[in-house]
Amino acid sequence: MSLIIKHCRSNGITSSFNLRIWRLNSTSMDVAAKKGEEEEEFRVLDILKKRDKVQKKVARRNDVQPDRADRMAVDQNWGNVWPGPKTFHPSSVPLPIRQGYVPKGQAPPGKKANAELMKIPNFLHLTPPVVKAQCEAIKQYCTEWPKLLNSEEAIEKHYPVEVITSDYCHASPSIRNPLARIVTLRVKLATLNLDKHARDKFLRLVGDRYDEKTDLVTITADRCPARKQNLDYVDYLLTACYHESLNVEEWEKDKTEDDMEYYDWDKNASKKSLVQWYLRMKNENVDLKDEQFIEYDISQIPNAESYKNAVSSLMNDGENESTVNNYAKEVRALLGLPEKLVV
Amino acid sequence: MNNSLIKLSKSHLSSKSQILPWAAITESHIHTSAPMCRVVSGKYRITKKRDRPLTYEMANPPHYIAHRKTWNSWNTSSLKDGLRRSETVLEDEFIRRFMTGTWHGLMCSEIIVKRQFNHIRVAAIVRRAISPTKMYFLLGYTEELLSNWLQCPVTLELQTVDSFKDVVFKYI
Repeated sequence: MSLIIKHCRSNGITSSFNLRIWRLNSTSMDVAAKKGEEEEEFRVLDILKKRDKVQKKVARRNDVQPDRADRMAVDQNWGNVWPGPKTFHPSSVPLPIRQGYVPKGQAPPGKKANAELMKIPNFLHLTPPVVKAQCEAIKQYCTEWPKLLNSEEAIEKHYPVEVITSDYCHASPSIRNPLARIVTLRVKLATLNLDKHARDKFLRLVGDRYDEKTDLVTITADRCPARKQNLDYVDYLLTACYHESLNVEEWEKDKTEDDMEYYDWDKNASKKSLVQWYLRMKNENVDLKDEQFIEYDISQIPNAESYKNAVSSLMNDGENESTVNNYAKEVRALLGLPEKLVV
Repeated sequence: MNNSLIKLSKSHLSSKSQILPWAAITESHIHTSAPMCRVVSGKYRITKKRDRPLTYEMANPPHYIAHRKTWNSWNTSSLKDGLRRSETVLEDEFIRRFMTGTWHGLMCSEIIVKRQFNHIRVAAIVRRAISPTKMYFLLGYTEELLSNWLQCPVTLELQTVDSFKDVVFKYI
């Protein structure tokens, strides 16, 4: 049987030679078969066997399709070719891309069989026309921005409380990130409409959560495991602080000059001495009590109002060149001394 | 001999009840780990006949990562405060081993594992040595099994080449 198959593959004179030998061989085999099992023959040494060796058929498929990039129409919609994020595939990208480091004078490896191009993230699915089309598609789900909230000031006025949370996007089977639970609440202190006492108490309650420069109170909560709980907690903290600061406790009346958070000129010794000096100037010998000193109207004293402001700013803002100079000027004005000459 | 001495001292010490909590210290623990081999790892020696084929990945030693070649694993775990660091590394290594074993003798490049959200993209270059039918079967088989084990969608993004010679960058 194998002999016929052989014949097809060989050619010329050798084939006929081959054929003959094979026939001889096979006839001898046939004869042996006919003789039966009673007489066993020696096996024939096939010297030329090497030449008849069946060459193993290599399974090579030649039906590899040509590249899609070559068959693509020129006006092909690229969004249909590359609809989503995908690893780079050279046969569908009609660009002569090369990547790789090579010594000077050589061309970098081409796009085919280039693992470097497959590694890097590509944005072939986000070409400008595709982005435009997708934006158009999701436009129907958008609502118009309220017209009255056209500026930052308007937004701040109508929505004074600002809540800051973070969402995390990462590559992991779980979408949870423990950092997403942290909630920060920011509110401008001026929008809370607190009076002098309540403001002072509120600032004492919130401590270093108040920033003087921006007038913002920042409350951060991360103690609860879920964001919703933290959100409720910061709301509760703000509400509790607000209402507590409005309360006036019995013991708050015991506040002395040492507990004051700022310098109040009316309640300090400076006013007392000014009033005493003024009364002595007028040769009035009146014995005033502490309350009377505090309530004394200084508008009748010339230059006293600006002197009061100068002293208050010197004590509250600290000593610097401008406050000290201002103080000196006001004292000269109060005492009727000539102004300082600039030499 | 050392071993027996330690055992002896241990048994001797542990007989006294007050030293019992200290038993762990009296044992000698030897910890071993693979050597780094900074000088030779990831580098290939030049052969006499200059006939060792190298891919682009192999031709550039590890210190050229981020200069001449990029990482084979892309994920957010390696960033600062990234989550699931060790798990990610282990899963990536598992994917690599599973792929090289399943596509036996067909992989012509390193296996690139890219993660986006919970989606794992596995990219590689494969030899066209088996019939497309078998290749499609292996593709589905690999995706199905990996997504079952890792509990997230896995996509295989393969590129095929005729033979290994197509990915050879140079011979040394």
